[in-house]
Amino acid sequence: MTTPSRALVFTVYLCAFIVGGVLMGFEMLGSRYLFPYFGGSIGTWASLISIVLCALALGYFAGSAIVALYPTQKTIAVAILIAAAYLAFVPVSADDVMEQILHNIGDGAPATLIASTALLLVPLTLLGTFSPIAVSLLTHSTEQAGRVAGLVYGVSTIGNVFGTLLTTFTLIPAFGSRAITYIFAFTLAACAALLFLPFARRL
Amino acid sequence: MYIRSIVFGVLAFGLIGIAASSAQDNRNLLASKESLYNNIYVYEDPPYVSMTFGHNRRIYTESMYNTHDDRDLPVDYTRFMTASLMYAKDIHSILEIGFGGGRTSWYLHRFLPNVPVTSIELDPAVLELAKKYFGIKEEPNFQVVNRDGRLFLSESKDRYDIILIDAYRGPFVPFHLLTKEFYQIVKDHLADGGVVAQNVEPSTMLFDSAVKTINAVFPQIDFYKASGNIVTVAYDGGERKAEDLAAAAAERDKAYGLRYHLSDMLAERRRIDIEGGQVIDPNAKVLTDDFAPVETLKNIERHNRKMP
Repeated sequence: MTTPSRALVFTVYLCAFIVGGVLMGFEMLGSRYLFPYFGGSIGTWASLISIVLCALALGYFAGSAIVALYPTQKTIAVAILIAAAYLAFVPVSADDVMEQILHNIGDGAPATLIASTALLLVPLTLLGTFSPIAVSLLTHSTEQAGRVAGLVYGVSTIGNVFGTLLTTFTLIPAFGSRAITYIFAFTLAACAALLFLPFARRL
Repeated sequence: MYIRSIVFGVLAFGLIGIAASSAQDNRNLLASKESLYNNIYVYEDPPYVSMTFGHNRRIYTESMYNTHDDRDLPVDYTRFMTASLMYAKDIHSILEIGFGGGRTSWYLHRFLPNVPVTSIELDPAVLELAKKYFGIKEEPNFQVVNRDGRLFLSESKDRYDIILIDAYRGPFVPFHLLTKEFYQIVKDHLADGGVVAQNVEPSTMLFDSAVKTINAVFPQIDFYKASGNIVTVAYDGGERKAEDLAAAAAERDKAYGLRYHLSDMLAERRRIDIEGGQVIDPNAKVLTDDFAPVETLKNIERHNRKMP
């Protein structure tokens, strides 16, 4: 095992924080997309939260499988970039998709689950692959695995907290949901660009 | 249904404290229920029964029912919600969004028994308690539907002559019931010459945005001050002349034998220059599905530009 460069370590933790922030920020935003169509019921929230957790589970499993094949920062950069592209597509398509679901399936639990899936599953699964791959990138000896895993998940969870609060108390009062979605897409794209940079290469 | 006069319970420890406080304010707790959306308390203070939602150690009275007289409207603003009766061109159907204890819709049903009244309520526990303690029963021409108000309207193919909007949850306002897109859906479900009456709480900046948002869809808004609350009556077309309204009020007071005379309410009618910046903050924004920071606006106390 080789030692990761300091630049790589810093970049990965920074991205863990930002990706964690966007992830939960987008969950909060999900409610703004869904409520006008499916109502503000507790069922809508339950659908959003469960789909976010499904996406994360899928992302962790996928990440752990990818680690065996392509354990490079380029892999996570590509995953984040696709998630960014998906988010950038949400503002223009969300209304049509929600309307179709409401029209064809109605407004019960199946409909809110499908709507949450359409909105969140793809980008959050992709973002979910980040942590396991990041752990493998930063681990250079088996004794370190636990310590690194703890740090990556800790930093990413602090990002979750930050993203939730920033979105709810600063972004939603100041910007429209569509604009915030573009901000998130741009932020993710910037993360991906950072990971593509050569300085962050493994030594 | 949210009444501004908040009853401050002497609540030491939130929920537990509420039962204790009821002893001090001479009200008897008939029922309490933790529903999907609210902590609901039903109090009895003969002859009145009131439905309240507890949030943040405060109790918000949502509805008040006189058990000796089911046509009494003890709460001021609920009377003014019926001012809509003098505006509508015809009265063949009435819809209410936000049933609560159902006083307004029941009053309308009792005085206009031949007009179908439909009321929408999100919280099933509210409906259950209203039927148990507020003398509400399903009858011909009186229907209550357990659904999100916006969802009901967007799926409905019916049109209504009067739509009443009073969907508050204690201090909370669901944002999707306060956007331009929502009022457009409301407008699409109004019959020709139909009107929308809404209960609006005027102490925060949310009031300014709400008025601008309603005005973005309905060119005309008349205001009625009702001790703490304001009832807006919004409609399409030109401004209604006072004498035409007076004639309609007199005619309908007589036709329906209304207890709360429309003619008396007319004296409280106010018009304001919404764009003039004198009453409504010129910087207040129209709320949309995309941008509707209702919680933030609700926390900003209103400037002191008063209603005339």
